[in-house]
Amino acid sequence: MKKYLALAAVLLAAATLTAGGAQEVPAETAVPVIRIVSKDVSESNAWDKAHLENITEGFIEYIGEEVVLEFVEMPEGAYAEKLNLMLLGGDIPDLIYFQGGDEAISQQGILEDLRPYVAASSVMQKALMDFNRERMENYPYLLWIAPPRARTAVVREDWFVEAGGKIPQTVDEYYTLFAAIKKNHPGVPVLTDTGNTDRMDYTFDLAFGNIATWFEENGSLVYKGVSQAQKDKLAFYQRLYAEGILDNDYITTKWDTMEDKLYTGKAAMVFGTAGIVLDIYDNKLKQTQDTGLVALPPAQGVAQGYPVSSAKETRGWAVSALSEHKDLTFKLLEYLATDEGQFLERYGLEGIHHTVSDGKVNLTEESGNWWPRFHEVMAWDAPTPLLGPAGQKGWDFILKYAVGDPDFPIPEELSPTWDALGNLQKEYTYKIISGEYSIDKFDEFVTEWYALGGDKVTAYARTVL
Amino acid sequence: MDRRSARRRIYRDRHLYLLLTPVLIYFFIWHYIPIWGARIAFQDVKYIGENTWAGLKHFRILFSSPVFFRVFMNTITISAMKIFFFFPLPILLAFLLNEITSSGLRKGVQSIIYLPHFLSWVVIAGIFISLLQSPDGALNQLLGLFGIAPVAFMTSTSHIRWVFVGSEIWRSIGWDSILYIAAINNISLELYDAATVDGATKLQQALKITLPCILPTIITVFILNMGFFMNAGFDQVFNMMNDAVINHVDIIDTYVYRIGLGKGNFSLGTAAGLFKGVIGLVLILSTDRLSRKVTGEGVW
Repeated sequence: MKKYLALAAVLLAAATLTAGGAQEVPAETAVPVIRIVSKDVSESNAWDKAHLENITEGFIEYIGEEVVLEFVEMPEGAYAEKLNLMLLGGDIPDLIYFQGGDEAISQQGILEDLRPYVAASSVMQKALMDFNRERMENYPYLLWIAPPRARTAVVREDWFVEAGGKIPQTVDEYYTLFAAIKKNHPGVPVLTDTGNTDRMDYTFDLAFGNIATWFEENGSLVYKGVSQAQKDKLAFYQRLYAEGILDNDYITTKWDTMEDKLYTGKAAMVFGTAGIVLDIYDNKLKQTQDTGLVALPPAQGVAQGYPVSSAKETRGWAVSALSEHKDLTFKLLEYLATDEGQFLERYGLEGIHHTVSDGKVNLTEESGNWWPRFHEVMAWDAPTPLLGPAGQKGWDFILKYAVGDPDFPIPEELSPTWDALGNLQKEYTYKIISGEYSIDKFDEFVTEWYALGGDKVTAYARTVL
Repeated sequence: MDRRSARRRIYRDRHLYLLLTPVLIYFFIWHYIPIWGARIAFQDVKYIGENTWAGLKHFRILFSSPVFFRVFMNTITISAMKIFFFFPLPILLAFLLNEITSSGLRKGVQSIIYLPHFLSWVVIAGIFISLLQSPDGALNQLLGLFGIAPVAFMTSTSHIRWVFVGSEIWRSIGWDSILYIAAINNISLELYDAATVDGATKLQQALKITLPCILPTIITVFILNMGFFMNAGFDQVFNMMNDAVINHVDIIDTYVYRIGLGKGNFSLGTAAGLFKGVIGLVLILSTDRLSRKVTGEGVW
């Protein structure tokens, strides 16, 4: 008897394992489903879920047919790695956001060439900027509609006014401003950066003659890191460092400590991404130091501007070449770049991030916590301004001073060499700026750079530029 | 031993084998099945369709880098420094903790020194960068009180590796001492009583009783540590490195992360992992053999 009871228990347990298998399968529907994978976006987030519902509603109206949009849930952790593992496992959504790691995938033909779609779309023609088109020609798999990520110099207003309040134009005028602020506040550095001088370089590169990543100097093609212009710029940075104008701890400063230095009066100037980021800096500075920010233009010299690389998009949206709904997926990207799509993307959720009264959009306090999940079209004429004075000034500078930089993606076989060259440059750069090496060591660095493989990369650059 | 007696022994210890089963399953799933996956080191990974055979291509890419030898030597140097300077310290700490007679005090000390083990390297890097900043970090301010000029610990190529060793000690000394404390607790108290009667000092007891009794544990831990010799500490190095010292602290793991994983090149990452694994295996086997010859003790 016990044996039969045990057998019955086992059968019952086995039956529970298969429970659910007999559930009624919903009838096949013809409604296409577009699966979207993105960073920091999930349907478990109430705002993302509501935003997706709004987009779905608008998109259905835009295309005139039913469609289902889904966000793919991603595990916590480094997005690029998790995404790669997901794709490697054979799960390839229709619309994929990449933030690095896309080359290996595009090389296998998994990502759609977006150029024909863009060429046929009047919306995209309006939304894309010149540098986007150049990048797409070099690498046609990623679409990223957003202002170029140039860094604008911003200085705290009270110290700026105290130092004369004159907007600097040339490198000399910048130095005069720095020296005046330093004189008034000798205990703190004037400007800081985050582990390297990449942010500062946006303001000073062109002024010293680094007019592009690769350019002709004395009749031959050179990489900007080993140019005479670079040497002159480093000599300037070395002087700033020695005089305590450039933060002597910039090398170990991260982006959050950089911001903290600004908010706590331990630095007068930082370099921020143009747009909403500058507004955030401005608002926090008003709260902590009771003063605002003044945005400064890139320095004038040999040239003036913010270099915008045309190599490729470093992040962006890709359409799976294996998708059954490629046209529809691109249509979604297109819809999000329209005025209607941008309204949803930029103003966020009604009642939370904005309200509408008498047809006028009013931003709420929560609007500062909203960010566009897909596109940020610069050409979009927002009915109610989205940016404050600092953010708007940064955008104005970008529009006025962005300069194309004819760059190219480094091929896979030169990748280890390029990495080694980058590290060599990083170490010499810091040692020269910090005064551990004299500026004369720069020539030794250039020789070493070419010997380590710089000659090979330069030869390759000649073939593609 | 015949088969029947073996079966009888298994039946007798069946509860112990039952307890062992989950551990065996764990090791089989997470440590043995992945060995089969290591074959992608010899393949070009395809996102769609079958992987294609690439032979030693990814090893060639790894070894052909102009900086691979330097990265390799950085890994060995940092690992060797950690083994040499860190390994004896948890043993010493276990000895010292064993001498604390008040159990409340001992538990309190143990809890405090275990705590850093639970902090992530991101947090620890932040703490150390802040402490060691020049000239305003706490340590430099302390040095200033003694008239010593500030030292740029984080950006000096001659100091940064010592910062790695120091922060590793701070984080792991307490946790790593647990095994030795447990081994010491297993030593019969009668041995100490007899030694006390014979007039042995505390130092003599430590050297003549405690140390020989926990020597097998020390040797086992040392040999197993050699298997991880090529893991110089990705999280630690990644969070503490900066441009000023990158060429002196760039290790195989950080290099592969940039060149391989960051670009979705899993084959290259696996090739590097396999390379490290083979070196680790050789080190384990050779250390075990050496240990058997010198001390008569080994892992197996």
